[in-house]
Amino acid sequence: MSQMNPVINRILQNIEKVMIGKRNVAELSLVALLAEGHVLLEDVPGVGKTMMVRALAKSVSAEFRRIQFTPDLLPSDVTGVSIYNPKELEFQFRPGPIMGNIILADEINRTSPKTQSALLEGMEESSVTIDGVTHKLDRPFFVMATQNPIEYEGTYPLPEAQLDRFLLKMRMGYPDLEEEMEVLDRAEKRSPISELQPVIDLEELRQLQEDIQNVVVDDTIKRYIVDISHRTRTHSSVYLGASPRGSIGLMKAAQAYAFMHNRDYVLPDDVQYLAPYVLSHRIILKSEAKFEGITAEDVMSRVVERVPVPVKRLAK
Amino acid sequence: MTDVNKKQETMSSLFLYLLGFLLLWEWLRPVDALTDTGNIYIFLGFLSLCLVVSFSKARVFIGALLKTVYILYFIHHYYFEGSFFQLSWLSQFWKDLILNISYSFQMEWSALTFAFRSLLFFILLWLMAYLIHYWLIIRRQIFIFFFMTLVYITVLDTFTPYEADGAIVRTVVVGFAVMGMLTFQRLVEREALVKGLSSKGKWGLPLLLMIGASVGLGFGGPKAEPIWPDPVPYLTSYSEDSGGVSRQRVGYGTDDTNLGGPFVGDDTVVYETEVDQRHYWRVETKDIYSGKGWEVSSSDDPIPFAQNEGFPISSFDQEGLELKEVTANVSSVRNYPHIIYPLGLKSVSTDNGNYSFRVNGGLEKVYTLEGDRTASLEEYSVTYDIPKYSVSAMKATKSLEQAGLSQEFIYQYTQLPETLPQRVKDLALEITGEQENWFDKARAVERYFGMNGFTYDQLDVAVPGADEDYVDQFLFETLRGYCDNYSTSMVVLLRSVGIPSRWVKGYTEGEYQGPTESGKRGYTITNNNAHSWVEVYFPGVGWVPFEPTQGFSSNVQLNFDSATQSSTEVETPETREQPEVEKPETPEKTVSTDSSFSWKDVWTKIEAGFEEHWKKGLIILGVMGVVAYIAYKLRLKWLPYVLVFIFRFKKKDDDFSKAYLTLLKQLDRYGIKRKEHQTLRDYADYVDYFFSSKDMGTLTSLYERYVYRGKLEEGSWDRSRELWENLIKKTIA
Repeated sequence: MSQMNPVINRILQNIEKVMIGKRNVAELSLVALLAEGHVLLEDVPGVGKTMMVRALAKSVSAEFRRIQFTPDLLPSDVTGVSIYNPKELEFQFRPGPIMGNIILADEINRTSPKTQSALLEGMEESSVTIDGVTHKLDRPFFVMATQNPIEYEGTYPLPEAQLDRFLLKMRMGYPDLEEEMEVLDRAEKRSPISELQPVIDLEELRQLQEDIQNVVVDDTIKRYIVDISHRTRTHSSVYLGASPRGSIGLMKAAQAYAFMHNRDYVLPDDVQYLAPYVLSHRIILKSEAKFEGITAEDVMSRVVERVPVPVKRLAK
Repeated sequence: MTDVNKKQETMSSLFLYLLGFLLLWEWLRPVDALTDTGNIYIFLGFLSLCLVVSFSKARVFIGALLKTVYILYFIHHYYFEGSFFQLSWLSQFWKDLILNISYSFQMEWSALTFAFRSLLFFILLWLMAYLIHYWLIIRRQIFIFFFMTLVYITVLDTFTPYEADGAIVRTVVVGFAVMGMLTFQRLVEREALVKGLSSKGKWGLPLLLMIGASVGLGFGGPKAEPIWPDPVPYLTSYSEDSGGVSRQRVGYGTDDTNLGGPFVGDDTVVYETEVDQRHYWRVETKDIYSGKGWEVSSSDDPIPFAQNEGFPISSFDQEGLELKEVTANVSSVRNYPHIIYPLGLKSVSTDNGNYSFRVNGGLEKVYTLEGDRTASLEEYSVTYDIPKYSVSAMKATKSLEQAGLSQEFIYQYTQLPETLPQRVKDLALEITGEQENWFDKARAVERYFGMNGFTYDQLDVAVPGADEDYVDQFLFETLRGYCDNYSTSMVVLLRSVGIPSRWVKGYTEGEYQGPTESGKRGYTITNNNAHSWVEVYFPGVGWVPFEPTQGFSSNVQLNFDSATQSSTEVETPETREQPEVEKPETPEKTVSTDSSFSWKDVWTKIEAGFEEHWKKGLIILGVMGVVAYIAYKLRLKWLPYVLVFIFRFKKKDDDFSKAYLTLLKQLDRYGIKRKEHQTLRDYADYVDYFFSSKDMGTLTSLYERYVYRGKLEEGSWDRSRELWENLIKKTIA
């Protein structure tokens, strides 16, 4: 790919100081952060998710919080709680972990739907309501949720409506042999995460988020995006296709991705690259397809193959 | 700089107006040539005034005033008395106008006065001049007008005597020049090019060369014969009074004073007959040959005769022939006042007793009378003798002296004009020199037309000029014609050697329709069957028909009864009838349909042409097919050059998109296929990898910016043209 936006490049390099490989994960996380969306990581424990998020948070001078979801976690454990202060004779709000900038919601499908929804409300509305008082969340607000593969015991799968709120869903995957060797090398010494320096401050991050909205999405590209979404709805293995919210998400993500690659316009390449990450968790396959072992990612790559790339301007 | 530009602009628009004037002039030239419009230069002057006014960009009302004054002045000059400045004529003109407008509404075109017509013509020219101005200066497109001019000229050339050869060349030259100049100006305007003398030269020289080459080619190149005949005779055959060129219609007409010119087929049925045996039907005879045609000498009082009363004129001297009396029925479809009858008529009868007849002695033309007035009979029957001529009786006459005919008779039937060229007489002597008697001489002349290269033709028949003789022209120059030519020539030749003869008009027997209820033979006679032939007088026998026209036979019965028959005759005494000139019957009708225009004919010709040339055609088609196939197969070798050449002329940034898409197609043809879902960038990487270059990537990122951003930096195409050409050239296999 062509050269990156210098700021973005520095952030990515910063993350790479602690993360071996996984540049695409870092890139996609940045896409979500810049597009003001959230990421769902579906992966096994111990592949460096926390490290990734912390490195990211540190690079952008964001406050990092982590919530470990357990079956007995209560909504108030996420959002915060009002405690009676006998000295002052009034309830005092003690903010929960959600009141940070970058939140790692670990194993989100291990907790009860009620607690899940407390987090999800925050993600969608950028605010939480506690005891009738609405607390605005800080900007930027970025949640990276992880979930165990659904087949695991004792999980509460996220409903479709809630999955729709994540801009991207991705897997981290294991490092390859050489990368893992490198990981071991680094683990011998002290973890470098504490030495990580911020690249930009929060204000600059907000400015970047503003800038992204100026990236041009031409009608030809919009048409391409819509074509892809439509195609998911008519695919033979799909029970429920991508929603218009999915199309919007794809467009926003593409804008961010284009910006990161130092462009002020979106290419079909951006859309093609992001479509599986943005749309595959928004479609529900027919059970026959599931039995045949077809995954949503398979469907998405087939859909992208079927939709012709626009090479001419739309006739007005 | 602006001064120079302005000057150039003025020059070029002056030039344009000049060319426009020349084009308009082509519209006026035929008007001068074809109509009796006089003083065409007045109109030309008006045209130039209009164009000058447009050119000088004078204010509208000043221009209108000038033009109006011009129109009024000349209308006054030509159509009104008195001084122009008295203005009293204006009220007269005004009344005239009102009157003419009312005529126009009543569609009485012929009543329009000349002054009004001229006014209309002026107004038309005014409009035309404005149109030219509009097309040349405002629209900067002249093609439609140019095309219309060409159509106008070619139509006039085809349908009128106007010869447009020069006009077409002039129009093409002027039209090309105007179109070339306008294209140049459009380009300059659109591209905001800086006009300079050099660019004009660059444009003008090829333009001049192009005009020169196309006109030269058109002039010098071989021109194919038209594949169908001139449509004019076909079209005019539908309107009888089209007039103009001297032209005859098949069918019966009375005026034979000017023979010649083409015949046009007409198969209108005129008579239906029932006869025992076929024969020609007479209408009249003529005796005075004028050098151009036939006239009638005597104006004898007509002789009346009643129904069933003997016909007052006898054509036969009883001794020399056997006669057989028969009757025939005739029904007339057309309301002719005359009747048709065979030679040897004895009496005429009808169902209605009110009718009587009269015959004109000189013409032998029989009119039907109802009381004193001529009328037309629908049905009548004729009784007549069918003669069987004795050859020996006919051969008995060898000279005028021997014949013992009256001076008056001899004068009447051996009359010849003084202007008859000597070579006709010489020819007559040459043909008949070896024969002793009149019959053999007549036979010799009759046979003469069957040989010696005469051609039966109804269309390509000459009209004698003022100092030419009709017969002389046919015998010595054209050798081409129809019955009038043959029969008149035979009469003239016979008269040259002193044999009394006359020219007979009427109809052939017509077309056989099968037996009728009464056991006779039914025929229909159409206008195509109109015919002329020869009757020769033999003392002691009477008038004997001869048929010199090729392809016709008169069915005259001869009786070779005599022992004195000359040894030159081959026939045995018993073989009778059927003179040897008889040929397989060729009804005139079939001949005439051939000569008139019809789509069927064209098709037949095309078919014939196809049959004749199908092998050639097949070979040409095959070669063309092979060439096309090879060209298609080798397109990778030549197409890139063509593309590069074409896009050399595309300078605009908008053309960049076309160029890029063309490149995609060309790469596809070359074999580097882009899958439908492959993005341009991906594809460009692949292409660059293939050619180990970076050109496609660079070009593609420019194009991406255009397609997905909607923005193209100015000059992108200029800068990337080289990359594009490199890539196109790389696809040359």
